[in-house]
Amino acid sequence: MPPGQPEDRSPDAAALPDDPEDLSPGTAAERTRLAWERTAITFGVVGLAMLRDEPVAGLIVLGVTPLIWALARYVSATAPPETRARRLLLVTVAVTGVAVVAAVAALLGHGAPIRLR
Amino acid sequence: MPPRGADVTIGAPGKRRRGGGATSSHDEHRESPPREPGDKEPDVRFTLANERTFLAWNRTALALVVAGLGIVQLLPPFPGVPWGRHALGVPLIVLGAVVSVTAYLEWRTTQRAMRRSEPIPQSLLPRILVATITGVAALSAVVLLVSAVR
Repeated sequence: MPPGQPEDRSPDAAALPDDPEDLSPGTAAERTRLAWERTAITFGVVGLAMLRDEPVAGLIVLGVTPLIWALARYVSATAPPETRARRLLLVTVAVTGVAVVAAVAALLGHGAPIRLR
Repeated sequence: MPPRGADVTIGAPGKRRRGGGATSSHDEHRESPPREPGDKEPDVRFTLANERTFLAWNRTALALVVAGLGIVQLLPPFPGVPWGRHALGVPLIVLGAVVSVTAYLEWRTTQRAMRRSEPIPQSLLPRILVATITGVAALSAVVLLVSAVR
């Protein structure tokens, strides 16, 4: 509470927990699913951005989007930790793969400084 | 719901955890991050929060990749500095990969710390991000200056 302000002693304030998440603990799983879906949408945006100059790479990245979306669908609060860890590893591999494809496209694509021939 | 003023500590149930919160159903499972005897799964809300942090860093990584790609493919060439776009864009793309891998390693480290009721280690990612973005910003200024002089 900012200094100098009187403490709110109303019944409503007394019922509020310290952590807003405690108001509705069930929303943690829902917010996590939404975070997965935002990540899937971001993959789609990256794929569309790449599609312009590198259609093949763009299509590959776009192909990853439904995979991430499917992971979002099956993430649940009761999933075994081992499954959860594998999902996160899969996301890491996908993002790193996208970065590698983008780096190759940047270095070898149109107007690139490196020419193989 | 925990009582007001309850001990708010991230950790395994039964050791130091938020009183009366959602209980974990993970205790009987075995998971990938190394686990030692006595480790217990933290409150599922903390596990989910750790996962959301990981996903947020990965979205940042993808945004960096798009930014790097946009610089290389969409910006017109800098007059007199033909390598300028690549010098600015490729480091951002590489940073995207670094952020993603580091986010996974930090997710594992945080999960392990919560399981052992240890303090959460400080994240390296903000420092990596600040250092690289500052470097790219400085390089942008150099490229623009060189381009203006030539």
